[in-house]
Amino acid sequence: MTNASEVLSSIQSAFPGAVLDSRVESDRRLWATIDSKKILDVCKHLTNKLNFDHYSGSAGVDWIARNEMEVVEIMASHGAHKVVAMLKVKTPRENPSVKSLANLYWNANWYEREIWEMFGINFEGHPGLYPLLLSDQLIGSWPWRKDFKGYPDLTTGERAVAITTPEGYTEYRFPPTPAEVEAGAVVAERPKYPTFREREEREIKSDSEMIMHLGPQHAMVPGPFLLDVLVEGERVKKGFLDVGYIHKGIEKIMENRTWLQGIVYTDRMCYVASLSNNECYCGAVEKILGLEVPERAQYIRVILEELSRIQSHLIGTGEFLTLVAGVGYAPWQYMIIDRERIISLIESVTGARLTHTFVRFGGVRNDLPDDFAEKCKSTLPYIKSRINEFIELFAQDAIYQKRMENVGVLSAEDAKRVGIAGPALRASGVAYDMRVEDPILVYPDLDFKVIVGTKGDCADRVDCRLREILESIYIIEQCLDRIPAGPIKPEAKIPKKVPAGEAYYRVEDPRGEMGMYVISDGGDKPYRVKVRGPFYATLQTLPPLLEGVYIADVVAIAGSMDGCPSEADR
Amino acid sequence: MDIIDSISQFATQEPALFALIIGIIGAAVISGVVNVGAMLVIWGERKVLSDFCNRFGPNRVGGRWGILQLGADAIKLFTKEDIIPGDADKGVYVWAPIVASMATMLVAAAIPFGALHIGGKDYPLVVANMDISAFYVEAALSLMAIAVFMAGYSSNNKYSILGAFRGIARMIAYEVPMGVCVIAVAVMAHSLNLVEIVQSQTLWYAFAQPLGFVIFVIALITDLGRIPFDQSEAEEEIISGYNTEYSGIRWGLLYFQEYNNALLGSILLSLLFLGGWQGPIIPIPILDIISPLIWLFMKVVIVLWCLIWVRASLFRLRIDQVTDLGWKWMLPLSLLNLGWAAVVGSYFA
Repeated sequence: MTNASEVLSSIQSAFPGAVLDSRVESDRRLWATIDSKKILDVCKHLTNKLNFDHYSGSAGVDWIARNEMEVVEIMASHGAHKVVAMLKVKTPRENPSVKSLANLYWNANWYEREIWEMFGINFEGHPGLYPLLLSDQLIGSWPWRKDFKGYPDLTTGERAVAITTPEGYTEYRFPPTPAEVEAGAVVAERPKYPTFREREEREIKSDSEMIMHLGPQHAMVPGPFLLDVLVEGERVKKGFLDVGYIHKGIEKIMENRTWLQGIVYTDRMCYVASLSNNECYCGAVEKILGLEVPERAQYIRVILEELSRIQSHLIGTGEFLTLVAGVGYAPWQYMIIDRERIISLIESVTGARLTHTFVRFGGVRNDLPDDFAEKCKSTLPYIKSRINEFIELFAQDAIYQKRMENVGVLSAEDAKRVGIAGPALRASGVAYDMRVEDPILVYPDLDFKVIVGTKGDCADRVDCRLREILESIYIIEQCLDRIPAGPIKPEAKIPKKVPAGEAYYRVEDPRGEMGMYVISDGGDKPYRVKVRGPFYATLQTLPPLLEGVYIADVVAIAGSMDGCPSEADR
Repeated sequence: MDIIDSISQFATQEPALFALIIGIIGAAVISGVVNVGAMLVIWGERKVLSDFCNRFGPNRVGGRWGILQLGADAIKLFTKEDIIPGDADKGVYVWAPIVASMATMLVAAAIPFGALHIGGKDYPLVVANMDISAFYVEAALSLMAIAVFMAGYSSNNKYSILGAFRGIARMIAYEVPMGVCVIAVAVMAHSLNLVEIVQSQTLWYAFAQPLGFVIFVIALITDLGRIPFDQSEAEEEIISGYNTEYSGIRWGLLYFQEYNNALLGSILLSLLFLGGWQGPIIPIPILDIISPLIWLFMKVVIVLWCLIWVRASLFRLRIDQVTDLGWKWMLPLSLLNLGWAAVVGSYFA
């Protein structure tokens, strides 16, 4: 078993002088500042020699006081070992530029584009540094830098100007107004790049091909994201993805709220999985604070997060069924009705149906109600029997098998390479579950299986999700048996200011690996919160899967990923 | 009996005038029956489907059964703004829903809606009792494909044109086996007249040619464009397909035709394979006269209920799988059924 200090010494011996600064936090976490010239070599070394085959994302940090910027590459392994290496690369604040990893790791593409448009850090060698989340107008203002003044710049008292366009619409524009442009008063020069529409239209090679929009307003999408497919007849030749339609800037908002207020925003990232999001943020802050969570609170958190996983999987599968069978298909409504029971269970504890804001630093908000265990014991066997029925139903449905088998197949190697997350990854046969890889709370004491599929097609993905519900029920049953009496909050008062430090905390969201990278500078607000969302990772893998399938399969494949664009956009 | 006698006397003396009178009365009656029937089918589908899905369905407008919901919907559709897209082929666009309703009415004209049992004899209720009505109905049903293509093509919309293509591909693939099944029935009945086909069914053709029955049911569902064969609409893929751009009463007409066709298709299925209005006469005065109507009505309701059941429990097929099934399986099997019908039919003749 590799541990963090071994990884560090391996890097140091292979590249003397490449590690400028390092900290081994635990067996599983390595923090290292790498010489920006050597980062590519270090990453290659990690991947080839030390099995770091999972590029998990990257975060940008603007250290305005030190006049430098930082890109943190998060490297992990798909099950070979449990070390997460946080490799920092520093770059000066003027003309920041680092080496791109997009040619080494396929999925680095989106993470680097996001950092580029938010921080203005250039990535040398990136194959297509185009805007991803932001609108074209905002490129060049680098909104997540610490000296960003708002759009429009509220500090100077400027306001957007209402303009009536030639077509008769009213638009609000930040200067320059058209008149100013005519007068020659042009603001900062912005990078030249082709727009999304231009990029997709240059792929049209003949008259028999056309671009079809599936989204952002389409019956298929679970939330607004744009999926364009280039079709010839019924065949899809290429897929194009554009996200950012509901970009809320939650990471930036959280920098301007107190530590406690931040919990509320994590709910809003994905309301179907708000408890895992709460857990992820609170866990990271607890790590910085060094807080111990009382055992009872740990059990309560596990119970609720597993309940939340059940309801998320139920609605995910249900939505998928409407996509391939139409809204008249009865079982999807059965799933929604069953989900209602789970939601009522969660509601009886948290008081809310979707946005719970329940987890607190070092504990939970309130204790379980007295009759909770009985309610669970009457509901869960019922849900279990229903899930077994659903699994049997789909296994026997000839049309379902015909539609789903060998559609959207993702092999285990490809799944690892493209960095897909959650049940979609496990359906390809990669047993990668944060509850095992990076265990938190009382998960190490609990007995459960990581559900894996065999083929990695749409049918497998749905099947995995359904069987995971059974595992979750098993976990909850164990927790209800073992949960001890005791306090649910730490005795000591939680300080308003969190000591300076940083932490990366991972939980298994219903959609896969969710990580939050939280930095504190000792103030009453986070210095930086980076959310590594699972659907952001999954969504990126969609276009390559769509090449050569039928239009009807596009819907099935996209549906089987159980999307939550709200969390992808954050 | 005097009235019946004098009517039949009039019919033999003045056949042209009689046909004209029947035609005018019939046109008024069938447009009423079919459209009201279709409204009931829509209401029934919403209610039955919600039952399947464990929910209530319409339950506000018109009491707890929501019986006036459709009236409210119809008023809404009539009063909605009628939007014609700027780039649409306007003439075709406007005419498509009208062609669709025309196709339905053409079918309705030749379909017997039952019979009256008077004095030990069945008097079929049909506007145009022609010798080739089974063939004619089959032909008129496929006119709907033209309307679908007109609507999809003229809308000048990518979803619509895909829906139109899918509709045409699907209908061609399934009209052929459907027609062969009708021929097989005609071979056994020694007639193409729907009335005579019904009267010849001492044994229901569903039992005499089970294979033909199954193929006809599948082809009928395809023709009606219902799940698992609703690729030309496919809300989740191509946003209602051919009628994406339609709004207001034009959309209402297209939507209505689907249910008109569902109703007429169910009647056709009952007539061809389920013994039509045949059944034991109820020995109660008055009721015995309409007892054939009651039997046909019950059969049609059961068929429609099964159609909704199918929608609640099956997945949608992909368009290539649909055409595969049609050409590679349904057509050869329907020809096999035709052979079977020829052998058995000649044996019984």
